This record gives sequence, C-alpha cells and structure tokens, in this order.
Amino acid sequence: MKTLNLEPMLKPKSVAIIGASKDPEKVGHVILENYINAGYDGSLYAINKNAAPNEEMLGVNVLRKIGDIRERIDLAVIAVPAPIVPMVLEECGKAKVRTAVVVSGGFAEIGETELQDKLASIARKYNMPTLGPNCLGVMDPRSRIDTLFLPTYKLSRPQVGNVSFVSQSGAVGSTILDLISGEGFGLSKFISYGNAAHVDEVDILNYLMEDDETKVIVMYLEGIKRGKEFIEVAKKITKKKPVIVLKAGRTSEGMAAAHSHTAALAGNYEAYEAVFRQFGFVISEDISELLHYAKIFSTEPPPLGNKIAIITNGGGAGVLTTDAISASKELVLGEFSKDTILALGKTMPKLVNVRNPLDLAGDADYKRYGTALDLISKDPNINMIIVIALFQTPGADSKTAAALIHFKQSSGKPMAVLSIGASYTEMHKIMMESSGLPVYDSPKAIASSLLKLREYYQYKNRKD
Amino acid sequence: MGLLEYSKAKSILDKYKIKSIESEYVTSAEEAARFGKPGPIALKVLSGKALHKSKSGLVTLGLSGESEITAAFNALQSKALKLNLAPYTIIAQKMAPSGIEVIIGGRTDPQFGKLLLIGLGGIYVEAFRDFALRVCPITRRDAEEMLAQLKSAEVITQHGTSIDMICDLLLKTSSLLTKEKNISELDLNPVIIHHRSYDIVDIRVLE
Repeated sequence: MKTLNLEPMLKPKSVAIIGASKDPEKVGHVILENYINAGYDGSLYAINKNAAPNEEMLGVNVLRKIGDIRERIDLAVIAVPAPIVPMVLEECGKAKVRTAVVVSGGFAEIGETELQDKLASIARKYNMPTLGPNCLGVMDPRSRIDTLFLPTYKLSRPQVGNVSFVSQSGAVGSTILDLISGEGFGLSKFISYGNAAHVDEVDILNYLMEDDETKVIVMYLEGIKRGKEFIEVAKKITKKKPVIVLKAGRTSEGMAAAHSHTAALAGNYEAYEAVFRQFGFVISEDISELLHYAKIFSTEPPPLGNKIAIITNGGGAGVLTTDAISASKELVLGEFSKDTILALGKTMPKLVNVRNPLDLAGDADYKRYGTALDLISKDPNINMIIVIALFQTPGADSKTAAALIHFKQSSGKPMAVLSIGASYTEMHKIMMESSGLPVYDSPKAIASSLLKLREYYQYKNRKD
Repeated sequence: MGLLEYSKAKSILDKYKIKSIESEYVTSAEEAARFGKPGPIALKVLSGKALHKSKSGLVTLGLSGESEITAAFNALQSKALKLNLAPYTIIAQKMAPSGIEVIIGGRTDPQFGKLLLIGLGGIYVEAFRDFALRVCPITRRDAEEMLAQLKSAEVITQHGTSIDMICDLLLKTSSLLTKEKNISELDLNPVIIHHRSYDIVDIRVLE
C-alpha cells in the first residue's frame, strides 16, 4: 500500500482554517488564535461561509470558501459541523489542498459510519492525506503549527524536543501533552488521529520512522485497524528508533469502553502485547511509565552492558535502589575495577566504604560527587550510572546539580539521577532536566527506565 | 467452525513432523484389549457433543490387563449412550510417562492473524495464566524468548536438553498454523515434556 505523505500536514507553508469563527467559544476561533499565538509564519487563511467582504478575524483575512484562495494550501484544518464535512472536504480536494485535518466529531464514534466512509472516500479520491475525524489534529513546535482547539491557558504547550507523541484519543492525548510540557524533554510532533478514517497509525509510524526530528516515539493506542501492515512497519521502525506504547483496553470492560469511545476495534490485549514484545516495542502500563521511559530514551545513549553503578549520598536510598535494580533479572550492580577501587580509596574520606553502591555520605559536596563520578564513569566494568542526590542533606546544593550536569555531558554512558523531595529538590530537578539529565523521584521508576533502555537496545542491535 | 476428527487432526500434525502419542480407534472391548498389550493405556470417548472429555468423565486412564480394559470400555460405552453422544468414537492411547505438562496452542486473531501460545499446561493453564504469545511465523529466537518469558520457565526446562526440543516443537507448530489456513484454533494439551522426548496426549483442532 502507498505511504501517505504527511510532511505538508506537519510542515505546511500555507494553512486554511475552515470554520474559523469570531465567537471565542467556537473551536474554529480557538484554533485560529492558537496559530497566531504559536507564531506560525506561513500563509494563514480563515474560511467562513458567512464572511462579509473584507472581513478580518484576529487580523487574518476571512474568505468564504477554500476555492477563493489563490495559493495552493498545504493544510486545511476543518472545524465545521459533521454533516457538511464531506462537502467541505470535496471543495478542498478540488482546490488541490495537499492535506486535511478534520477536528469535527459526530462520525463513527456516535454510529455515523456512513458519513465517515464518505469522508474517507473523498480523501482517497483526491489522494489527500486526511487526519481524523474526531481528533485534536497536529502540533509541531518547530514549524509552529497547532491545530488543537484547547486554549493555551488550559493546556500548556511543550517546548521543542525529539519526542513525538501519537494518540488515538484526544482527551488522553491532551492530558499527556500537558504533562510532557512539564518534563525536561520536549516535543517533536504531536499527532492525534481520532477515528482514523483515512490516515491511521500505520501511516503515522511510517512518517515518523523517516522523520529526523523524531528520536523517540510515544504512542497511546486503543485499537489498530490494519494489523498486518502494522506488523510490517513495526518490524522496521523499532530497528531505527524506540517506540514506547501504552495500550488501552486490557480488560474486557476496558475494551467495551474503547468501542464506545473512538469506535476503535480494540482487539484482544494479549495479542497486542504479543506483537509489541515480538517486534521490540517498549511497553508501558500507565501514563507515568510512558513519561518515565520517554525521558530516558530522549536523552540517554545505548548502554553497552547491564552493569550499573549507584552513587549516593544516602545509604537507605542506595539500598532501596539496589532492591529495585535486583527485581529485574537483567540488570546487575557492577563490581568496580581494581583501578577504580584504588583511586576511590585514595580520594574518598575514610567514612566512605568503597563498594557498589557507593555511599558518599550525607556531607558529600559537589567535589566528592565529581571525583567519584569521574572515576566511575571511566570504569570499564560499569555501563550505566545512577546518581542519587538527596538535596535535603547538608552537602548537596546547586553546585552538586551543576557537577552532575557536567559529568553527564562527558561520560558517554547512560546516566540518571534519583532525587526525592519537595520544592528545593524540584528546583534542581528542573535545572538538571533542562540540561538533558533525566531525574526520577522513585527507585522503581529509575530502575525500570534503565531496564527498558537496556532491553530495547539489545533488541535493536541484535542480528537476525 | 468445527472440531476436526482425531485421526484427521493427528495426520495434520504428522505432516509437520509433530508426533503425537500412539493411538487407535477401537470399536470393541477386544480391540481395546489388543491395543492394551503392553499397557498401560487410556480410553477416551470422542464426540462433537462433549468438548470437555475429562469433566464429563469420558476419559479413563492407566488401564492394564484384559479385564480392566474390557470393563472400562464397556463403562465408557454405556456412559456415551446414556449421555446421548452419538455419533461418537472411542480411542485407545498409550499412557505417557509423567513429566512436566505444557500447553502449545494457536488461535486466529482478527487483527494479526495466527497466534502461537505456550504455557504451563494441564490444570495450571487457567489457574496461573502463565503463557507466552507470539504472532506466526516465529523465529527460533522468538521461540527461545517465549520459553524464557514464562514464570515457569525453569520448571519446564529443568532438563537443559528440552529447551531445543520445545523450541523445535514451537517452530513446527508455527509453521503448521501459518500454512494450514483453514485451521482457526489448535490445542496440544497436555504436551508432556520428558528428558529428551515429549508426548502429545491430546489434540484439538478447530477448522
């Protein structure tokens, strides 16, 4: 099957918003406003069939129909009532619009399958990749497009980054997007594809697989429409980049909900899980795991082995983290090399017991962290580093965070920080994460994230 | 969709070099007794009207000697009549030595096609739900990972030698499921794992 080209949808040079409205309560108004707020600098047109001659909306000229625009439109965002969507889409096709996003609801999700089929056949007739209906659409902070009809005061927009997020559901999609905006890693693309009448997850994965701005893909799925094609793209994509997936509909109750929700054909969860495992997806069980994994994959390089070093300024936290690591069969604490042990013995104060986990003691300052990290990051017996920095201790302060950031940039090994605490900790977390150092707030989260990192790259690098 | 007759199911397995336990249809107590030399054997009533043979008391295990076999045959026959299971057949099977019981099976998923399953078998399938699932066709590595994924992996593969054997069996079953388009479901349960061999004791194939 032919791959649909989604490039004009995500990197449009010209955009028309059909159903743009003066009424601030209307979806068409919010979308237009968001385009302006996001600073989109391509050509922007507002379309409203009742527009007066020379009418303006938020400083944008309003035209009556898409055919009135002289330049070719890369992306039409359609926010008109469902019954007239086919007519509008037909006009777009005739006007040679390259791609369309239908945000309007009122299709298969409420039983209007015929109307949806009509939409799909128009999209196919004009070979015009059409996203939706019943979706939030797309966002790309680089090209500054934002078809979301949710105002920015309600839903914060993430910064520019390398994680692309694909969501069938609009509501879950916007929730996770809001959470991503609070994370240190940023967003490459957001694609909410709703009922998938034309463009579906297979097309989206094919596009993101080749997208150089996307390093990590995060996916929220309810059901897949083309299982065989999905397997084909799955085989290829996970050999290129990690795909973290959260699948809804684990229980039969959940599946029933998926049906009434996006009219998805939520299949049997175990079958999905089998496919994800077999083809190297990173499976997450809930939203928080999804974010934990996205964070580690976004910044960290492939680990060359399964041996972990723990450096801590709190004994208890070191033990808890060791427990979390040992819960997996795959990860182990590495034994420091003789050179490392000798050098640590010389440089660490007497109260530091030289072994892994390395407890630097509560008075450890940035210098002690720095010395330990310098030695351990060069140790050939260590493949990944967990640094526990409890900022409640006397020695830890902003200089500690700065030292960790410094070593992160020079170590070349996956490294993650465990810092548990309230506002003072939170401040340092933001510091570290904005410098590309992933910070976690529970031993379990950091251990499972490193485990997924290890497992994924083992899958990716194996030859068969 | 229907349950395939035992001999047909067995011949499909034969085609893929999946060996099932020696068995024979028997129509009389004498035939059963002849098959039962040497014993022990099992006798089972097969009928489209009784999908759960053991639950309905249609299986008698560990029979040896003419009198025991004859009595069991007659008892099964009258039970089949009483339960109105006609048309039915009675099959005699050699008893397999005991070992670890696993289930190997397949089903057709509307999205992804044929799926292959292995799990801790016998009575534990539903209790522990310890199984691994993959889409067909699988690779040898998939087979190894399926085994490794099971919580009961160490129990099932306690003889190091059985890992390769079970992987071979999984690959053969995957190939059967992939090539036999008409088969919608398959149960090999239990497959009894021994030191260097296995016995497939029961087969259910649905078209």
